[in-house]
Amino acid sequence: MPEHVRITRNRREFLFDAFCGFGGIALASMMQQEQLRAASMNPLAPKPPDHPAKAKAVIFLFMAGGPSHLDTFDPKPLLNKLNGQKRPASFGEAKYQFVSTNARLLGTKRTFKKYGQSGIEVSDLFPHMAQCVDDLAVIRSCHGDMVVHSAAQYQLFTGRIIPGFPSMGSWVIYGLGSESESLPAYVVMPDPKGALEAGQPMYTNGFLPAVYQPTMFRPGRRPVLNLDLPAGINLDERRKTLNLIRDLDQANLDAGNSEFAARVNAYDLAFKMQTEAPAIFDLSNEPEKTREMYGIGKEPTDDYGRRCLLARRLVEKGVRFVAVVSGGGPGNLQWDAHEDIEENHLRMAAQTDQPVAALLKDLKHRGLLDSTLVIWGGEFGRSPESQGAKGRDHHNLGFSMWLAGGGIKGGQIVGATDDIGLRAVVNPYHFRDVHTTVLNQLGLEQNALSYMHQGRRERLTEVQGEIIKQIV
Amino acid sequence: MRFPLVLSGLAAASILLAAEAVAPLGTYRPMERRHWAFQKRAHPAIPTFSDPADQAWAKNPIDAFILARLQKEGLHPAAQADRRTLIRRLYFDLTGLPPSPQEVDAFVADRSKDAYPKLVDRLLASPHYGEKWGQHWLDVVRFAESDGFEYDTHRPDAWRYRDYVIRALNNDKPYDRFVEEQLAGDEISPKEDETIIAAGFNRLAPLRKNAGNQEVASSRNEVLTEMTNIVGQAFLGVTLHCARCHDHKFDPIRQSDYYRIEAYFSATEPLDLSKATPAEQTAWKAKAEPVQEQMKQVKMRMKGSSPDQRAVLEKKLEDLQEELPPPLPAIFTVSDDEAKRTDVHVLIRGAYNAKGGHVGMRPLGVLLPDGAPEMPQDTPKPRLQLAEWIVSPNNPLTARVMVNRIWQYHFGRGIVGTPNDFGRMGERPTNPELLDYLADEFVQSGFSIKHMQRLILLSNTFQQSSGASDAAGKEKDPDNKLLWHFNRRRLEAEEIRDAILASAGNLNLKAGGPSVIVPIDHELVQALYKPSQWAVTPDESEHHRRSVYLIAKRNLRLPFMEVFDAPDTQVSCPRRESSTHPPQALELLNGRFSNQEADVLAARLLYEYGKDRAKQVDRAYRLVTGRAPNPQEKRLALEFLKTQPLREFTLAMFNLNAFLYVN
Repeated sequence: MPEHVRITRNRREFLFDAFCGFGGIALASMMQQEQLRAASMNPLAPKPPDHPAKAKAVIFLFMAGGPSHLDTFDPKPLLNKLNGQKRPASFGEAKYQFVSTNARLLGTKRTFKKYGQSGIEVSDLFPHMAQCVDDLAVIRSCHGDMVVHSAAQYQLFTGRIIPGFPSMGSWVIYGLGSESESLPAYVVMPDPKGALEAGQPMYTNGFLPAVYQPTMFRPGRRPVLNLDLPAGINLDERRKTLNLIRDLDQANLDAGNSEFAARVNAYDLAFKMQTEAPAIFDLSNEPEKTREMYGIGKEPTDDYGRRCLLARRLVEKGVRFVAVVSGGGPGNLQWDAHEDIEENHLRMAAQTDQPVAALLKDLKHRGLLDSTLVIWGGEFGRSPESQGAKGRDHHNLGFSMWLAGGGIKGGQIVGATDDIGLRAVVNPYHFRDVHTTVLNQLGLEQNALSYMHQGRRERLTEVQGEIIKQIV
Repeated sequence: MRFPLVLSGLAAASILLAAEAVAPLGTYRPMERRHWAFQKRAHPAIPTFSDPADQAWAKNPIDAFILARLQKEGLHPAAQADRRTLIRRLYFDLTGLPPSPQEVDAFVADRSKDAYPKLVDRLLASPHYGEKWGQHWLDVVRFAESDGFEYDTHRPDAWRYRDYVIRALNNDKPYDRFVEEQLAGDEISPKEDETIIAAGFNRLAPLRKNAGNQEVASSRNEVLTEMTNIVGQAFLGVTLHCARCHDHKFDPIRQSDYYRIEAYFSATEPLDLSKATPAEQTAWKAKAEPVQEQMKQVKMRMKGSSPDQRAVLEKKLEDLQEELPPPLPAIFTVSDDEAKRTDVHVLIRGAYNAKGGHVGMRPLGVLLPDGAPEMPQDTPKPRLQLAEWIVSPNNPLTARVMVNRIWQYHFGRGIVGTPNDFGRMGERPTNPELLDYLADEFVQSGFSIKHMQRLILLSNTFQQSSGASDAAGKEKDPDNKLLWHFNRRRLEAEEIRDAILASAGNLNLKAGGPSVIVPIDHELVQALYKPSQWAVTPDESEHHRRSVYLIAKRNLRLPFMEVFDAPDTQVSCPRRESSTHPPQALELLNGRFSNQEADVLAARLLYEYGKDRAKQVDRAYRLVTGRAPNPQEKRLALEFLKTQPLREFTLAMFNLNAFLYVN
């Protein structure tokens, strides 16, 4: 029996025993008490962290397909100078998915400027985000092991290059539970334009029990599957059906069983979710000014703006982990700029820059940024070499991500790539280090957050990760 | 599991020197050899009892071992379950389906002494037995019908392996033969469909393919890794996979042991063996080639097209894909190809390009005398050699591991609580004598799974009530590891779906054949990288078939199955979780499937009993829970039906504990 189930079961049995101890109490009353206790039987009830937490929630702005570090947060003047030439041998080797060894370096057409008190350089792709740099810790020295989408996406989300392992979000709610009873604990908002290479397995609970699975939001006003009543049924009617289920379960001779009390609780929570969640999904409750700030109601920001605003509303109500995905469907509808870095990144940045900045400002304004860790990044960066005439290939040896809020010390640059942005050379940080840092901000310790599976105490970080000390 | 760190440059070069050497054969300390699971099976004496009541209860050896262990703790077995409980328990355990009301009535009415054994035999002989027990094995071997990863390409012939497993269990194929056929069916009998299909086992793992530059050696290494890991997980119950990057940290499995097992697979290559006649193949090509030509042209046009154009072309490509004639029947299997043999080395830190010492085939060193040699590289039928070692009657692991699985699927928990891990980090057996007795009996019976099941099912241990009222038991053994009562269990995902269909009278019991794709919410299909892969089976009657015949697609699992803890098919699942959470309630209350079937059941009740509400309620209870409603239940239901629609009552039935749990 996996440990957490065993613990829950023991506690339940313990409670049951405790009630049995009062010989005089009638069965009915005992059952009632059991049900009162059922509230604490919610497997997603909040759990204390391993050490004091700085962040309570995470919003992961996942830039799927791999945004270029060279055109966003990591300016490389030398790359522009060497434009059209072969990579000098001194920079070492790299393997790409598509480009061959005789590819030519490609300079960037973007211009970079220093922003904020910190003077962090940001390219003209992100004029809005640039206004927030003093809150960002830009890690320029990220690296991962894989250069193809699916395996790299698995590693980014689950720490492994193969499917079948729990995602960050599942680990986090396994460790901390949820602050909200009427909303799912872990939400993924995919880009409605389509799926990603790694598919659903990248987001899911792997071998953790199904209670830790993500809730995948669909586009539109009713994002959660099965939250709507079937056609022709109204809420009042349904309430009566729920009461019938409860009464019939009570009338069953075994009703006093503690596991059944947990089921009663699940039905109560389901009903609560059904009645309370839709109001939270309804963005029309937000002031016009806020909606405008997120770029809602105009193209090309409307979609990502809506999802970012919804993410804020969810976190505000106690949702623990939200992934907001930019990019989906055929490669060029992601940040996967094989053919034309200009065309692709101008388009993708225009969709997301304003919403992301709005989210940061909004969280800050509401005092939520201190307790909400925001992560921005993709499964890799893009190659210094060109693919074709104008594109960039995948690139996992050095690229940028940023973290903000949730106790992260912003206004900093962490690490560096070499002079053409090929390889992380100063303080390189692997995905596992980012994972460790995320867990740390949530008060979780990478070795403590584990689950026995197939003879191994599995955890999010396969190999021991390192906290990025500079920013915590 | 650790995965390749890619070593490059100097590091790789220095390692090449090591690659010339031969890895040492290794030695194993007596301490290491002493671990219980590596010991020969003991032949424990069957406990005897002086008290006549105990003698009567301990009617078969299983009961004797269980009772002796309980008595040691001062515990007592629970009373026997009543007949209604027993028949429902047996039906779900053995067939995954509910008994019909008539079957329940007949069994309750049958007062003959052998009513119960007759029922056990009848259910063991049912064709639905293999559909239920096949699923257990499919969980262990992470069976799926698509590649997983980015393309998640379908494996249109993988269903033949699923049917093979069901057939093998129905026919009580001896387990030793079952293992041999799966590991080496192609080597045993290369002309026989049955064995070749079985060998498809070696290809069940997820398979990563990518566009662009291929790292052939890396991909090959991933394939060999999967073939090797599953041997430890499925057959030997050892965490062999932990020794891929370094010597095992807890068990006496050296890294060289890992690669010596891998060496048995070094010549194994995938094979899609066409079952079509030459004429059929010619006809297929004639239809396919024009479409393929068009597809080629579309792909050419895609290069250098704008994103909008590209999206249009992608769509065009998908449409063309659907115009291709359905693939010709083939067998999804493997064969040995000497010319392509991979030279197997210990891989330093598991990195495919960091070759350490060379190794050849050899079973696990800890089970051999020190210095036992490798087999020559040209040993014919290498996988059969491995299989024969695994199923040798003297192998201390194989029989124990399998009887433990059988036990677990009947009682909810194995005698060893970690069915894939009999190593030091796994749990120790709660009743080692019983485990050895069962393993011995299994070998003696000629590895007959049904023999073991008959023994278990006829025991008083199995027939105990699930009511846990014994205070001493709750205190001393709250997890019921010693079985002082039967474990109540929630139905598994497939059982819930199949039982809903069965009670609505809507279950299509057709067996075998290609898998069915059922309609699901549009948004879920759109979330696929290639939505066209979800091509719904046109014949609607197929949508109501048993869950084991629904497609097992790695990147799209049915939400209904997912919420009820069906495994994800990416890694071996030795035991399913049984979690309780709100999305399950939402699925059963608002989901498309349960509501659809609630309507069907309501229509059935109306058709059978007109407006007689009392009869409708009675019938619904019998169909869904296997028993009549008690007076209070009946009163509540009738009260509800005064104002509420029948279909809401039938929907409520599918949500009851009395339905979802087996006592």
